[in-house]
Formats: sequence, structure tokens, C-alpha cells
Amino acid sequence: MEIKIRKNVLDRNKNKANEVRALLKEKNVLMVNMISSPGAGKTTLLEKTLENLKDRFKIAVIEGDITTDRDAQRLKGHGVPIVVINTEGGCHLDSHSISKVLPEFNLDKLDIIFVENVGNLVCPSHFDLGESFKLALVSTTEGDDKPIKYPMLFREAKVILLNKIDLIEYTNFNKSSFKVDLNNVNGKVPLMEISCTKNIGMSQWYTWISNQIISKS
Amino acid sequence: MHELKIAEELIGIVFQVAESENLKKITKVNIQFGKMIMIVPDIFRSVFEGAVKGTIAKKAKLNLEILPIKFMCKKCKEETEIDDLLFVCPLCGSNDLEMIQGRETIVESIEGEK
Repeated sequence: MEIKIRKNVLDRNKNKANEVRALLKEKNVLMVNMISSPGAGKTTLLEKTLENLKDRFKIAVIEGDITTDRDAQRLKGHGVPIVVINTEGGCHLDSHSISKVLPEFNLDKLDIIFVENVGNLVCPSHFDLGESFKLALVSTTEGDDKPIKYPMLFREAKVILLNKIDLIEYTNFNKSSFKVDLNNVNGKVPLMEISCTKNIGMSQWYTWISNQIISKS
Repeated sequence: MHELKIAEELIGIVFQVAESENLKKITKVNIQFGKMIMIVPDIFRSVFEGAVKGTIAKKAKLNLEILPIKFMCKKCKEETEIDDLLFVCPLCGSNDLEMIQGRETIVESIEGEK
């Protein structure tokens, strides 16, 4: 006998994500789900962003890491609340793990939570965390074919940051081919060319994210 | 390896339904995944088979259908299916498209014996 189910396999994650989203909306807190390959520069981007914006906004960080707390150690000096989620081998965060750690923050006193997802371009893009939006970070040293290889992330991201732009001359990264592919996957998403370590193009990012925080309510 | 988490959630739902329907044996699981989910069927199958060993679903056949990506073009209002991952309307060239299929992770039904 056949029993009809017709149900989304990821319903449990989706429902919890909707709860998280509703709570953050009620508390008027923005949550950014940061997704990239390992080594693209998520932690460095966060370091620079905290340095630049922590006096203006109340920021918290959720660090998704497979085993260590090394990323969190790098961010500690900035005096913002940080919670680490060790996925113990898991290649992505999910909404249940986010929901569990949110009580560690005083949401009434926050403007924005940056979630540094596990470095991976596939799995994190399939699991809604309850975020306000996804940010995709890609770097010139990874190659220019990422948008077309990982369309789900690039299609869903609200903003794309192209990091390590200072190193482009040492790579075979073809910027125009990257832009054509990105335009084919997502023609409307803003793209910012930056170098976190050489401080290139960072002011446009600070302005963009500040505007997102200011206009959230 | 998002296959692992998706398989875990699937198995949870399958056993819950089997229990409420008093199934003694699950013979088939019918699922549909959109192409955008980027499931590797062989990996998904081996994760599933490993997880149901020694259960009432140990001999269940996994019927996995991959759904193609379909778009509604907002400019020419036509619905199209794409094979490659170029998100451009083949009819009018616009990239202002709304995805109407391709992101599914659906468990359609299970088959079994009481």
C-alpha cells in the first residue's frame, strides 16, 4: 500500500528558522548569514567590520566552526559578544543550532548579528537559519567560476563581496568572465570588490551594511 | 555533504508515518529533489541505506527523482525549463526570472506492508 506524505523533508529546519526570524523581527535585530569557501576571508572581513562599526552599532557574532574556536579567538579583542557553535564535523549550521544559542545574547541590546557559517559553498546555502539575508564572499584566489558552479548561493545572496582584489594580478581570475556568470545567475545583486587586508573598497561595504542596519525597522 | 542531514530528516519523517500507519515493513520511499539542491544521488543512497540497516526499511527501494529547474520569465511571462545553469530566458534573453521549480526536497509517499 502507498501512503501519501507530500511534505518538505526540511520542514523541521524551515519551521525553526521562521521562529528565529519572527523573534529577531520582534526584537528588531538584523541577522546576516555569511557564506564562503574556507579561506576566502570571512573572519578577516568580520575583524575589519567590527573595528569599523562597533562604536556605531551594537553587534554580536555567532561563529560556526567544525571543531576549534580559533576564529572566535581572533575576534575576541573587539569586545562584542561572541558565541561559538561547534558543528563537530557538520558542514553547515542549521536553524536549531542558532535557536539554541540566541538566549546567550541580550537581543534587546543588539542591532545586528553576524553569523559566520562553516566554510563551504554548497551545504550552508540549503539551510535557512532564520537570517535576514545571506552574504556571499568569494576571493580572487579561488577562481572566477564560483557563481556558475554554486548557483544556489549566488542566486539567493543579497550582496556579493569579491575579496583579495589586491592579489588579482597574481591569479588567473578573469573578472569579466566572473561578472558575466554572476549576471547570468543573479543579475540584480550588488557586487563589491574589496581587499580586507589592504583596505581597498571597504568603505562601500561599511556604507552598505550600515544602511541595512539603519533601514531595518 | 548536506545529503547526510537531508537523509536524517527524511528518515525521521518516514518512520513517523510508518509508525502511525502501523506498517510492519517499508518497501519503497518516493522522493523528489530539485536540481538546485545539488544532491549526489549515489551519496544520498548510501547514506540512506546505511541508516536504515536493521530497521523495517532495510529493504526499502529509494525512488529518487531529480526535478529540473523551471522559471517564469517576468519580462515575456513565458515558463521555461533550463538544462544548464544559465539563468537567462531562452526566449527573450532577460535574466529577470522567478524560479518556480528546482529547490524542492519533497517526500512524496512511502509504500509498505501492514
